[in-house]
Amino acid sequence: MNAAIAGVGESALGSVPGMGPLQLQRAAAEAALADAGLTLGDVDGLLTTPIRVAPWAMPVGMVAQELGLRPGYLATLDVAGASGTAMVHHAAMAVATGQAQTVLCVAGQNQLSHASRGAAVQQMADAGWAHPQFEAPYGPLVPTLYALLAQRHMHEYGTTAEQLAEVAVAIRGHAALNPLAQKRGPIGVADVLASRMITSPLHVLDCALVSDGAAAYVVTTRERARDLKKPPVRLLGQGYGFTHAYIGEHDQITTTGAVQSGREAFRSAGVGPQEIDVAELYDCFTITVIVELEDLGFCAKGEGGRFVEGGRIGPRGALPVTTHGGLLSAVHPGLAGGMFHVIEAVRQLRAEAGERQVAGAELALAHGNGGIIGIHCTLVLGKG
Amino acid sequence: MSRPAPLPDLVTAPYWQHVNEGVFALPRCEACGRHHFYPRGNCPHCGSPRIVWAPASGRGEVYSFSVVYRAPGPAFKDEVPYVVAIVKTQEGPHLFARIRGVSPDEVHVGMQVQVLIEKRAEGAALPVFVPRAA
Repeated sequence: MNAAIAGVGESALGSVPGMGPLQLQRAAAEAALADAGLTLGDVDGLLTTPIRVAPWAMPVGMVAQELGLRPGYLATLDVAGASGTAMVHHAAMAVATGQAQTVLCVAGQNQLSHASRGAAVQQMADAGWAHPQFEAPYGPLVPTLYALLAQRHMHEYGTTAEQLAEVAVAIRGHAALNPLAQKRGPIGVADVLASRMITSPLHVLDCALVSDGAAAYVVTTRERARDLKKPPVRLLGQGYGFTHAYIGEHDQITTTGAVQSGREAFRSAGVGPQEIDVAELYDCFTITVIVELEDLGFCAKGEGGRFVEGGRIGPRGALPVTTHGGLLSAVHPGLAGGMFHVIEAVRQLRAEAGERQVAGAELALAHGNGGIIGIHCTLVLGKG
Repeated sequence: MSRPAPLPDLVTAPYWQHVNEGVFALPRCEACGRHHFYPRGNCPHCGSPRIVWAPASGRGEVYSFSVVYRAPGPAFKDEVPYVVAIVKTQEGPHLFARIRGVSPDEVHVGMQVQVLIEKRAEGAALPVFVPRAA
């Protein structure tokens, strides 16, 4: 497809009191455009996602109004947590068909600061991820819905709490090398296991952060991208996968739509998992990463727990995973969280990742997961 | 604060009517003969709208579970720790539920369970599962 990512950027991240969703998104948009050497005046396409902190009936209208845009192509995209990767593909389609030349994708919110942490947890529990009649009355947290996956994975494949903890440790290791990450203090497996049990078998360090922040990237034609400030990053392949709306009605919860999304992403890119240099996997919980590694084909089904042992996915590991620190340690402001995986893939391919740079990274994978592991979008990205 | 009570809709009302009468029933498709859950207007297996409700065995086994230590809100605060589970029913469909009548430490995948319809203080009845002797 004739489309490339030409600019990436973010707002201040972590705890950013005093900035609302539109201020955060403006900051991210301006940073991404500046990265590309563009201005808001160059934007003729706009994509965003819904937010939770304010009752926006028309998110893309709110963002267009804030930025003073009258785009010839615009949409609010919502494939839940997979939106962060899927927006790249939707923007690329708009560019490749000529509907727009420069599409700005931007999302984010003050998920942490708009309310107390307890209120934020309850808001997420009430957000409809659990079926309102058949699941929510039993009192699951959102993490409980993933804990059910973790427990079943342990039963079927012998995955251990230590192996789940290895994921948190590896991703914190990457975050320690990212100056923008919210949590940078090193942790070990014992720290994860000693952290508060939230919903067994998931400890608090097995779970994503809650953050303020916004992310943005700019997609344009490959020709135009080549004339801009930074080396372009090309979308080589993409795939989607869907299995279920609610975890309670999925018969085989340990196998996900990442099988379908990964197969199609690799097929359309003409490469395989063994050729990927860095994998920016969606990491809402530690178990999510283990299941994605399996379903995307980085290891055999059931081998994910053993695969992550010994720092294999951490800094200088054989397959560095989620090298910015992800949702577990870097930033998680709701649906925009998955955009940071794309931004990190771009920075790795441009060799801009500083201390956490994966040497010689030529091919990156970015994966988004939405709902309760029900909807997936995988991208394969490369230089040029 | 009261617990989130199920608000039945057109498709799910028969489930809750049965539950409120103390009966655990599952939807079954008359066309293909298979059970399904959650309730649908059309059979998720064959698409037929010929859905009938019939009392189910109420038997099943724990497919997965989690012990919740941190309540999602004040409504559940007094109950922690409690066991949320997915139960695979004898009829086939999975059911999201609570496991009661056993220490959380003793719950395990594969545990044989039997439905129990709990009458709640707020009036609404809710099916839960308790251990069943093998």
